[in-house]
Amino acid sequence: MVRPNNNQLPENLPQLQNLIKRDPESYSDEFHIQYQHFLSLLEVFALNPGEENKSLDDIVMFIAQVAQCYPAVCEEFPKRLSDLLKNYATVLDPAMRNCFVKALILLRNKNLVPALDILELFFQLLRCPDKNLRTFLQTHIVTDIKNMNAKHKDMKLNSSLQAFMYSMLKDANPKAAKMSADIMIELYKKNIWNDAKTVNVIATVGCFSKVTKVLVTSLKFFLGHDEEEEESDSDSENEVDLKGALMANRVNKKTKKRQKQLAQIKKQAVKAQKKKKNAPAFNFSGIHLVHNPQGMAEGLFKQLQGSNERFEVKLMHLDVISRLIGIHELFLFGFYPYITRFLQPHQRQVTRVLQFAAQASHELVPGDIIEPILKTIANNFITERNSSDVMAIGLNATREICMRCPLAMGEDLLQDLAMYKTYKEKSVMMAARSLITLYREQLPALLHKKDRGRQTEAQAERKVRAYGEREVHDTVLGAEALLKDSKTIDIESDGDTDSNDGEWVNVTHSDNEGGADTDEDEDEEEEDEEEDDEEDDEGNSEEEEEEEEDSNADEGVGSGEEADKTKKQKADLKILNQKEAAQELALTRIFTDEDFKRINAANLKKTVTSARKRPLEQDRAEFVKLNSIEMIYKKRKHDKESRLETVQAGRKDRERFGWKDGRVNENCSKTNREKRKNKNFGMLRHKARSKVKKSFKDKQQALRKHLLHQKKMK
Amino acid sequence: MASKVSRDTLYEGVNGLLDASAKKKRGFLETVELQIGLKNYDPQKDKRFSGTVKLKHIPRPKMKVCILGDQQHCDEAKANNVEFMDAEALKKLNKNKKLVKKLAKSYDAFLASESLIKQIPRLLGPGLNKAGKFPALLSHQESMIGKIEEVKSTIKFQMKKVLCLSVAVGHVGMKPDELAQNVNLSINFLVSLLKKNWQNVRSLHVKSSMGPPQRLY
Repeated sequence: MVRPNNNQLPENLPQLQNLIKRDPESYSDEFHIQYQHFLSLLEVFALNPGEENKSLDDIVMFIAQVAQCYPAVCEEFPKRLSDLLKNYATVLDPAMRNCFVKALILLRNKNLVPALDILELFFQLLRCPDKNLRTFLQTHIVTDIKNMNAKHKDMKLNSSLQAFMYSMLKDANPKAAKMSADIMIELYKKNIWNDAKTVNVIATVGCFSKVTKVLVTSLKFFLGHDEEEEESDSDSENEVDLKGALMANRVNKKTKKRQKQLAQIKKQAVKAQKKKKNAPAFNFSGIHLVHNPQGMAEGLFKQLQGSNERFEVKLMHLDVISRLIGIHELFLFGFYPYITRFLQPHQRQVTRVLQFAAQASHELVPGDIIEPILKTIANNFITERNSSDVMAIGLNATREICMRCPLAMGEDLLQDLAMYKTYKEKSVMMAARSLITLYREQLPALLHKKDRGRQTEAQAERKVRAYGEREVHDTVLGAEALLKDSKTIDIESDGDTDSNDGEWVNVTHSDNEGGADTDEDEDEEEEDEEEDDEEDDEGNSEEEEEEEEDSNADEGVGSGEEADKTKKQKADLKILNQKEAAQELALTRIFTDEDFKRINAANLKKTVTSARKRPLEQDRAEFVKLNSIEMIYKKRKHDKESRLETVQAGRKDRERFGWKDGRVNENCSKTNREKRKNKNFGMLRHKARSKVKKSFKDKQQALRKHLLHQKKMK
Repeated sequence: MASKVSRDTLYEGVNGLLDASAKKKRGFLETVELQIGLKNYDPQKDKRFSGTVKLKHIPRPKMKVCILGDQQHCDEAKANNVEFMDAEALKKLNKNKKLVKKLAKSYDAFLASESLIKQIPRLLGPGLNKAGKFPALLSHQESMIGKIEEVKSTIKFQMKKVLCLSVAVGHVGMKPDELAQNVNLSINFLVSLLKKNWQNVRSLHVKSSMGPPQRLY
């Protein structure tokens, strides 16, 4: 306890604070004294706001700490602070300003001040040239709004805060506008303000801001740069934990305690995963939430054309516009000629420009608008005077564009490009082949006949769509599979068997599992077998033809040609019947998961039935991956591992080779020749010289010299 | 494995729905829609799916279709008493946003002939597309009436931003059998679009415009 004769409380603020927090009522007098002291200090301070005042600093923090105990007394306190900050914002000493801000935040955390007032004040404070303060304020605002929304969302408060933010975004002060944009984006990413309103404000105001920094942050928001990072962080968190724990348990001594711990960790990991599954974060990329994509794209394009910004900013514009066009299927015809200007091999970041061109193409753009782009790429990139990498990149870009808008390609151009399939550089060759495979799927008619390849069943079924035509299904694609027995799956699991022995497998399996499916009656089974024959017919194996003829013979048809005709008609009928039956099936009963498995298996089978090993990757994502344009095939015939492998395999069954110099016995000494290799060259120079044969001229000279010498001797 | 939605629950739902609407007649023909809730789907990461399917029975008979046709189609449309516009009329709109919007608003769907459809974006600008009513292709080989019926009976499944979607699959004037067939087909088609089929389905409801929802799954 404090001794009355030695009362140090007025000086010892931390202790007083401690005591007040424990028992506010009994120390109210002391607090009142301190408060009066504060008021007087404040008055003094107001006379000369520029200087630092340590005691005021202390007392402000003290009052802020205990304010919740005396709400009546401290009613005016926040107002005084905020007035001070408002009036002398830029004049104040940075330390003092920081202190006042901290005190206000303390009060705000105790909910003694309304959020909106403080927000306004803080945005005014941004004018101060103090970077630390600004970052501090920003983190505070974000956490404050986050905390407010932690338990439940107060729509009214949120909307008033949002309205304030939106007005700040239009603010003339660039720092305020930038911070408001930053805050909104951060809150969107944290799933707090993830409504369409926020996105649209960023779209309509932020993206058209005069301040480049605001503009760039808003554009970056729509490019969705760091979404995945966050998720991978949260993903890896518990997994790494689990892995580390498992590893530790394997290495460490095994005790009961450790095992228990491990079990607990496992449980937690499962729980965390479950939690994630139950409440998926419905976090959408902002682009989908934009109300008026067409207007936004047009506006951005106009801004881009008029702007004099740096190239990076222009690229960002192009990126956002192209994404908008691709996702919302917009018409913005001016964009394509504009982007064509950048399509030069030496253009900076040309692969990204190509990516934008691909992103901005979609099916509803008329072909004659995209065609110039393809022509430009073909002229500027895909010519032999360029390096093979450039050619490959051009071909890849062409493929990406055509994947989205197949009708843009002309027959001549495609056939020209297809000729690169035998180019000597592998990267170009691969790129050209990928273009060919794309058109085999989409529009085989455009390819040269020998490039079309053998059609798969799936390709044969696929209809070529004209411009504006929509793909309308009558029934679930591949539902015919359900009419057959379940054996289709088994064939699939057998792997890539040829259609020839596929027949054989069929029969055995149908024997095994004849009773498995109750839905079909025998008629359908018969149908089914005949239909298998049809399938195999494509494979042109003689065996099947014989069988066909057999079945026709049953019906009593005599001559071969007629049999052929009737067979064809019958086949057509059968297909029709099958379609109808499948439709009927889809109408009458709801498919189970197992049914869908069979359908999927059958659909998969269709893509491989004529010899294609791998179905073409048909993933038409919304964004073009930069990788798919830049990826040019560059792999050596042998990479190091495979080379080593062959070497090792060769070494297996043979003895170690002997010495190069012919020594058989390792233990005998080296020859002189061997030793000479390690000797200093200076020692050997004369010997080395003597080894060289003299030239004819040298010999003559030496002879002459020798003869003269002898003459002199006489 | 048993089907996820048994025949009985389906019929129960459909009949309940029809009864509810019969009890309280509304001033209009109520539409029956299928509402689907999805799960285990991340609209941000997973690919958004979309697909169109033609139902057996027309779900919205009152749909208004307009033909944007060349000479031959216009004549045919006149003979069949279908509303139509030709290229000249479209040019008169002159890309005027308000007029195009008005045009888009006044019809539910459009059909355009082959020669015209390529010019539509140039003639009309983005207006039609913005309203999601870009015309479908009408070729000379197909019969116009058949195509109109097809457009009327076509429904589109498209997941956009949220994990739920709903489509009109019929109206209360239909017989329970017809309705059940439509529901069957649309459920089957939808589930076939999903990545993990039934594992992605959280709930299925059928509901008439004003009636209470009936849970199927």
